[in-house]
Amino acid sequence: MRRSATPFLPLLLLAALLALPQVLPRFHTYVASIVLLTALLATSLNLAIGYTGLYQFGHAVFYGVGAYGTALVLTRSGMPAPVAFLVGPLAAAALSLVMGLICIRLSKLYFGMLQISLGSLVWAVVYRWYSFTGGDDGIHGIPLPDAIASPKGSYYFTLTVTALCVFAMYRIVRSPFGKVIQGIRDNPVRAAAIGVDVRLHQLASLVIAGFFGGVAGSLFVVVENSVFPDMMFWTFSLEVLIMCLLGGMYTFFGPLVGASVIVLLRVFASVHTQYWSLILGTILTLVIIFLPDGVLGRFVRRSLPKEDRGA
Amino acid sequence: MDFAANLFSTGTLSQILVGLSRTTILFIVSSGMSLILGVLRIPNVAHGSLYMIGAFAAWTVIQFLGGGLFAFLAAMIVAPLIVAVVGFVLERGFFSYLYEREHLMLLLLTFSFALILGDLVKIVWGPEYRSVTVPAFFQGSAEIFGLPLPWYNLFLLLVGPCIAVFLWLVINKTKLGKIARAAAVDGEMVGAVGINTGWIFAFTFVLGSFLAGLGGALIAPMVNISLGMDHSLIIETFLIVIIGGLGNMWGALLGSLIFGLTQSLGILVWPQFGIAFPYLAVVAVLVVRPRGLLSSTW
Amino acid sequence: MLRVESVVKSFGGFKAVDGANLHVNAGEIVAVIGPNGAGKTTLFHLLTGHLSPDSGRILFKGKEIGGLSPHVICRKGITRSFQVVNIFPRLSVFENVQIAVLSRERKTFRIFSPVAGMAEEEVHRILRSVGLFDQRDVESDLLSHGDKKVLEIAVALSGNPELLILDEPTAGMAPEETERCIRLIRKLSGESGVTILFCEHDIALVFEIANRIMVMVRGATVVQGSGEEVRRNSEVQSAYLGESGGC
Repeated sequence: MRRSATPFLPLLLLAALLALPQVLPRFHTYVASIVLLTALLATSLNLAIGYTGLYQFGHAVFYGVGAYGTALVLTRSGMPAPVAFLVGPLAAAALSLVMGLICIRLSKLYFGMLQISLGSLVWAVVYRWYSFTGGDDGIHGIPLPDAIASPKGSYYFTLTVTALCVFAMYRIVRSPFGKVIQGIRDNPVRAAAIGVDVRLHQLASLVIAGFFGGVAGSLFVVVENSVFPDMMFWTFSLEVLIMCLLGGMYTFFGPLVGASVIVLLRVFASVHTQYWSLILGTILTLVIIFLPDGVLGRFVRRSLPKEDRGA
Repeated sequence: MDFAANLFSTGTLSQILVGLSRTTILFIVSSGMSLILGVLRIPNVAHGSLYMIGAFAAWTVIQFLGGGLFAFLAAMIVAPLIVAVVGFVLERGFFSYLYEREHLMLLLLTFSFALILGDLVKIVWGPEYRSVTVPAFFQGSAEIFGLPLPWYNLFLLLVGPCIAVFLWLVINKTKLGKIARAAAVDGEMVGAVGINTGWIFAFTFVLGSFLAGLGGALIAPMVNISLGMDHSLIIETFLIVIIGGLGNMWGALLGSLIFGLTQSLGILVWPQFGIAFPYLAVVAVLVVRPRGLLSSTW
Repeated sequence: MLRVESVVKSFGGFKAVDGANLHVNAGEIVAVIGPNGAGKTTLFHLLTGHLSPDSGRILFKGKEIGGLSPHVICRKGITRSFQVVNIFPRLSVFENVQIAVLSRERKTFRIFSPVAGMAEEEVHRILRSVGLFDQRDVESDLLSHGDKKVLEIAVALSGNPELLILDEPTAGMAPEETERCIRLIRKLSGESGVTILFCEHDIALVFEIANRIMVMVRGATVVQGSGEEVRRNSEVQSAYLGESGGC
């Protein structure tokens, strides 16, 4: 990974983000919050797919589980809010571990297809378990601590958590672990031959990705005050994948860019049309055909040559 | 929840038969996907959309021809043909240019078309449910083992094996089928021998699309034809080809049977969460045989 | 150090390795040669855990290693280079070796320290010893073929192996590169005393540097011994010497 622009740029961005709710109307602040947490979600997915090379097609399930975990603790248990924000991501990480253990033995495409399918199972259970999860109604009116309940409060909370998590992930990809999983992505045989336990590292990567996906879900609870089953539907998983692809899967900040673009487009489109899927599908087609490295990818590196087309 | 009583009642047999007729539809659709997966190596996420178009197209044909047995039979042929044309356009117009790309890209491309087709259906047919009534010829029930089984389900139970035999003949006994099988194993070699793999791939995709459309047309009288049909079906199809072995026709049959039966029995035994049973079956199968039950062409 | 006893490996009905025997003593340079399809690379895969033997024993320092996974075998002290160049293409030369060193030092789960300068001394030492120091920041995909093969060896070396297995180290190399490779192998064996096992189809090279040679024909070991013994063996003469062969 090449070093991006000067370190000055992120600081400038951070300043702008901090000032945002002071100058923009409430709805825009809300949208900005959604952009932030979706960016976090996309970055967490990229850890699994861009950096480790796993076909993580069911990522939305971790987002949903993180959200539901937080929501259920806040609405049903008597426990204080901080516990809720721990339970959500930890539940997501635990699920990631379980699903990982089941799927990891499978190669590429099997892995992806099975993950989608298992994710759908979780969705189906949540959808039908009316008494516990509210079924297809979801859970609404979730109580939040005063400090983060207001639009500004939830925004700053989201900004803080997102910034911290993104920073953590940045450190992770720049660490030995980050290098090793990239090695595994590019050449798992070679990695094994130098003594790396490939499966173990992949599992670790999945758990981390699941954890941060769960954090994004918790943030959704803060911003929306509600959760619903379609958060973990597989079409959303693929939508997040599109964000990574659009921004550039082999860069760190690509998913952030992609998420921002897609969320803003979706908000804009929903005002003017009911055919968001058509728009999204068209964008995806164009990206695949013309911009396979994503927006940021053009500045960083060309893709690897065509890989061997086995499973 | 009296599991045992539920399981061993006469309702079970009836439920199994219904499950089997549903299996027919699953098999037809999954065999299409398996074909595409095996020969073209594309996990076709748009398969569900093609199925949905088949159902809507069948509705349109039946409306156009005024209902009745003739209209129904015509729809069973015309709707899949329409879907096959759509498939042809997709394959020749887009996919064929991108076979050199990684699996991930191809899968996302099929997903993009699933999105686009989904909204196109919304544009052409609007967002409301449609329904098709079973033609008079098939209404009512037959008595099987002393239990009523709707004639239409019986019809499906007969259609299934016919399709299976037909596919088997095409794949194993025709020249085209043999070439397609060879291309599934080693596309480069087939190309090197001078055969135009492009047309093989087009044929395979078109056949797969036809099957998806046929599945949609056949299920039209049994369900509400609605916009979410594509989404639920694609997961089921994925699961079936995973259990059965990617690209394996008999695997699709076996997978469909397992899926259909576990789902029917599951709902019988535990109505609220019975739909989870097929998923558990998948997990169980994959733990024991990670590549699916039958050999995969990968 | 390494004993291979009557190892068999089949794929479907085809016996790729059918009764291979080999022993390698510490500090030796041993070569495996044989005609195309003789099973040499399959044998190497069996030694490094990429395949499991159907029958027979593979003993490293007295302990059975047949069937273990590659990363476990690497930790036991056997590393290898591959016949087809198998490096991490997106990483630089430095990073390729660095990963291997970090893996050996068991630092691969560190997630919060930046990897940038880690193990720099060690990596530089290794790169210098194989002559790639000047290219340390070049993206490995962009190296010349010969340099890539040397990088392969460097990566294999980073694991501090007791037994280094090289699968056709000079395949595809130009003559000067081959010379350089030969000198490198000699130097490694001489300086660090690492035991080297390799296979080659460049017979002249084999006779030049190997202490002992094992000949495989159709999956079986025909003879093991010094260059002279092998030259004199009539089976070898008829089956192989005089033909052009490959690994």
